[in-house]
Amino acid sequence: MNLDATLEYLANTPLAMAISQGAAAFPMLECIHVVAIAAVVGTITIVDLRLLGYRSHRRGVRQLIQDILPYTWGAFALALTAGSLLFISNAPKYAHNAQFQLKLLVIVAAAINMAIFHLTAYRRVKEWDDRLPPPAAARVAGATSLALWLTVIFLGRWVGFTL
Amino acid sequence: MDMHGFSEWLYGTAVSSAIRDNFWVVPVVQSIHIIAIAVVIGSALVTELRIAGVIAPEENICVVAQRYLPWMWRALAVLLATGLVMIIGEPERTLTNVPFWIKMALVVTGVLASIGLRKPLLTPLDRSSTGPARSLAWIMLSLWVAVIFCGRWIAYSN
Repeated sequence: MNLDATLEYLANTPLAMAISQGAAAFPMLECIHVVAIAAVVGTITIVDLRLLGYRSHRRGVRQLIQDILPYTWGAFALALTAGSLLFISNAPKYAHNAQFQLKLLVIVAAAINMAIFHLTAYRRVKEWDDRLPPPAAARVAGATSLALWLTVIFLGRWVGFTL
Repeated sequence: MDMHGFSEWLYGTAVSSAIRDNFWVVPVVQSIHIIAIAVVIGSALVTELRIAGVIAPEENICVVAQRYLPWMWRALAVLLATGLVMIIGEPERTLTNVPFWIKMALVVTGVLASIGLRKPLLTPLDRSSTGPARSLAWIMLSLWVAVIFCGRWIAYSN
């Protein structure tokens, strides 16, 4: 089964049909998607700004990340679930939309940026936990994350105008 | 002049057609609107979860409010400005729309509640997290989530 056939199959599943044909399912999923994205970007921005040197409610980066990251992950799981359901309701169209493809790529880039930060600068966080300004590697990771997530929001909204 | 007549008049103004004629204005303004919503949700989440006793119990509520409440005001100002651009560009889509007015009522409630109940937290006082204060924190969070739901429903209700 090739990709287009798979996408067509997805859009014809009973679940996808219920979402695309029901009056309230699609808007409700969008509401959940927006709330979840607001929570993802809102919480990640707090961490990113701290990495750039803006104070948060915690003195140290480690405690801040421990406070906030569980909520970021929870909200991301919710955004991904709602987003996947929106996707299958019209899978072929979303999959062939350039803005949608770019949005996924930028999310992957944000994930890579986060992985690099956790495997490098964050490994040595004990050395710079309370330090202001944080080391250059942390500031670069924070600025990159902020730029990528803001781009995700722009692209996501743009999908709605190009589909 | 009723709301419908006012919408038609607004639609006919030069600034309204300028917003519509530049295809990029509405998507860009909507994106900025969502980014500002994210800032409100991020600030509210940390502040209310702290008040509810869920995160950072050893940090003073006053310090938490001092860090996040100013961001909330800034984001609300951006939301007002970008929201006005959207109303001027597409008055009929918003001003005669039921979810829009429910949203406005919820926003006014949220702003007044923040001024009345969250701004006082900026003054350092000895505060214990009482049961009612914790419940109120969850109500405040639910209020902002309800605002987002109404905002998205504007697009589906004409």
